[in-house]
Amino acid sequence: MTPNERKSDRGDRGERGEGMDDEKRGRGFARRRVCRFCADQKLSVDYKDQATLKYFVTERGKIIPRRISGCCSKHQRQIARAVKQARGIALIPYLVIGS
Amino acid sequence: MAEAAKKHLREYETVLLVRPDLTDETVESVKDRVKTIINRDGGKFLRFTIWGKKKTMYPVAKQPRAIYIHAHYLGGSAMVTEVERNLRNYDEVSRFISKRLSDDIDPDTKQPQEDLKLAGDVDDNKPLGGAERDAMGGFDDGPFDSDD
Repeated sequence: MTPNERKSDRGDRGERGEGMDDEKRGRGFARRRVCRFCADQKLSVDYKDQATLKYFVTERGKIIPRRISGCCSKHQRQIARAVKQARGIALIPYLVIGS
Repeated sequence: MAEAAKKHLREYETVLLVRPDLTDETVESVKDRVKTIINRDGGKFLRFTIWGKKKTMYPVAKQPRAIYIHAHYLGGSAMVTEVERNLRNYDEVSRFISKRLSDDIDPDTKQPQEDLKLAGDVDDNKPLGGAERDAMGGFDDGPFDSDD
């Protein structure tokens, strides 16, 4: 892992500039993301549903931002809350330390 | 105002984590304790689901596994506080979380169900990696896909 990759993984706000570059490169070609909970009304956010929640968490255990996952703000709030509740009962890790 | 006596309750659930080395009898005693409090304090007990012994994502009470118990019941907020106070006194119960599912439930519409016991031990609980997430549809390129 290069130092730059490590930095991007931390997801600090300070590296916003790099993210902008990535967006510029891909501008106009990005697939339109849809909130999967809005698309399927039968789906709901549940803190007990480990399988769904781990889709919205990185390998390190961080919540994926909605600019990446494409969730709407309402469901992103529900996801963030559910992930935090699931962490409390050890269904999802707070942090995964690199191997 | 005779019909005002009809009391609506709130629907709650509580997930408990108990020590993995406990016998079935001890788990039963925890269940009985919770059930007794709910019935005593004017609630209505609906169902216990034992998720079984599962691997936790981090050590809980210095143990790598825990027995997960899910309780589903109707009641009031004071009753939940009482249940939680009792759980705190139990050494066997290492963690719990209570959540309100809905307000204003007519107790007659919900009937108690048989307790359910699931086979636990699902080891497949680590977060998804980039390739696995891509297989499920994935996201667009982003810094979080190339985790690690």
